[in-house]
Amino acid sequence: MAAAEKLKPLEGFFTRKGSILPNRPVLEFKPEDVRRLFAELVKALGPDGFFVSTIAATDLPEEGRVRLDYFVVLLPEEETVVLRTHLPRDKPVIESVSDLVPGALPGECEAYDLLGVVFEGNAHLRRGFLAPEDVVELGEYPLRKDSKV
Amino acid sequence: MIRYSPWLVHFNTGACNGCDIEVLAIKTPLYDPERFGIKLAPSVRHGDILIVTGAVTKKAGERLRRLYEQMPCPKFVVAVGACAISGGVFRGSYSVIGGADKVVPVSVYVPGCPPRPEAVLDGVLKLLEMISRGEVAECGCR
Repeated sequence: MAAAEKLKPLEGFFTRKGSILPNRPVLEFKPEDVRRLFAELVKALGPDGFFVSTIAATDLPEEGRVRLDYFVVLLPEEETVVLRTHLPRDKPVIESVSDLVPGALPGECEAYDLLGVVFEGNAHLRRGFLAPEDVVELGEYPLRKDSKV
Repeated sequence: MIRYSPWLVHFNTGACNGCDIEVLAIKTPLYDPERFGIKLAPSVRHGDILIVTGAVTKKAGERLRRLYEQMPCPKFVVAVGACAISGGVFRGSYSVIGGADKVVPVSVYVPGCPPRPEAVLDGVLKLLEMISRGEVAECGCR
């Protein structure tokens, strides 16, 4: 795939490669590398060369961790690659990339509000961004599998 | 009463856009709603009939109530689609109140997922008939 070739300079960050059917590449990286990875991505592709369309967080209680998928769309091919990382479930903390990639801001706010993933350095994190008030008052993160709501 | 030109206001409280395109379809020349005087209101403050699509989420419920309060009397609500009737497949979710009738008084329910445009138009016409026969309770805010 032409677009995925563009990620060659970032090869060193990826610990595992896979794909989601039918042909979307999934590249795993270590959570402590997230800022360096996105800084390199901006350097390699330019600020107009890609955007983060969404950040999907998934609670995996059996594995004791939270999966974080950054859906990066490479332009102008409009090909999507998934940059994946895992955080420990009892302390889901990762550095924010919203200052490097502004499009990541709503995704980070959503993952914090619904799953409690803390993005350090994001000043706009707050409860009630998407979750209704009564859920916020209960202190529940509604998309966690053990949530009571 | 709104005998001549019922003006519609369309509000999506969390629909998947399925019902919305069907509601928009009734305003096309194919269905020609202006033969009944039905047209879109430029603002909710000019509207007579509020068409609600989608399950009412807790956040949208507040907005729906506020929109309804801004409409001049007499005013009527048509709930379009399974979600606006009862919450549909989203019923019981942590963020969903349920159907539109949990927040505002609903006069006509149009079932379907999504309903055909003919069904939506028929629902509005049935409402007009019921109004002319005096069968619909008014909101009572006059």
